[in-house]
Amino acid sequence: MLLGTVLAASPLLAGVSQVRLKLPLKPRLPLRGNEKIALAPFLVVTEADRARDKRLQNVDLQAEFHRFLKKQIDKKTKLEVIETPPELKLPTQNLSELGRATEFWKSVGTSTGAEILVSGSLEFRVEDRSGYKTEEYVSPINNQTYYRQVYVEQTGFVFDIVFLVFDGRTGEKILQDEFKDFRQTGGRRADELQGLFENLFSLENQILNLFVAREREADRYIFTD
Amino acid sequence: MATAGCAHYSKTEKAASQLAFGTEVARKGLWREASFRFEQAVAKEPQNARAHNNLAVALEASGEYARALAEYKRALELDAKDQYIRRNYARFAEFYTSYTRTTGKTASGS
Repeated sequence: MLLGTVLAASPLLAGVSQVRLKLPLKPRLPLRGNEKIALAPFLVVTEADRARDKRLQNVDLQAEFHRFLKKQIDKKTKLEVIETPPELKLPTQNLSELGRATEFWKSVGTSTGAEILVSGSLEFRVEDRSGYKTEEYVSPINNQTYYRQVYVEQTGFVFDIVFLVFDGRTGEKILQDEFKDFRQTGGRRADELQGLFENLFSLENQILNLFVAREREADRYIFTD
Repeated sequence: MATAGCAHYSKTEKAASQLAFGTEVARKGLWREASFRFEQAVAKEPQNARAHNNLAVALEASGEYARALAEYKRALELDAKDQYIRRNYARFAEFYTSYTRTTGKTASGS
């Protein structure tokens, strides 16, 4: 049974209160909960810019993401994670083709004994959203309001994950979902690994919700009179 | 029953009293009791949009989504201009759509 909790008793307008409810998020996959799951490699999307960015060259995206995902599934679900053979190579570097590689996934399912297979694509990049923005300005001389252009520096890390989930017995794709997160950094010299994990922790609830039920908080208004 | 000892809310025949008491217990997270109080308020004043809104929130908090949907809609019918009712309904609709999409449940299921 779920229970709503109260956020605050502070009135917004007279006669209105905001309350916070905990709402269930059902798992996206119809699982029993104790299936054997194999984490296959993901395609790593590499762009020319990324190849030039030395900071991103230091991040082993595949390994870091695999480690994160395995840890989360071990810790927060009852699924049994099965290691895939280290020599396992994806049959294609194209995401659409990967989703249709039924025979390949069936063979992975047969060889590992996994009922669920997870793959997809990973993209991690620095995104510069700096630019001129219009700002309201009140002149202290004549008290008139003007609009001026100011340069706002906004740089951050973007993590874009596409999940492909396959049935290990048939090789059929049973789910495809995409998660994307942008975390603004303190400046251009932000640490890339910290950025990566900030993105991942922000997406953690959504990722886990593929496999298990989660909760989310939601605000509502009630009238007090 | 929670009314015992609450002289302030002794006039339970009034919808306003039920609404006020329901709000108070809702703030404590006692949503079942709040639902009961808001239902009483709705029974006393079926045209009170605020009572329907509060009942909808309490039902949503208790996991009775199909009933919550009906109450949110009724509140909106009665006062389509109220920004809080509109916002509640929009947010609930977003949640409920996602909930029914992932579970395959229809409006009859909660």
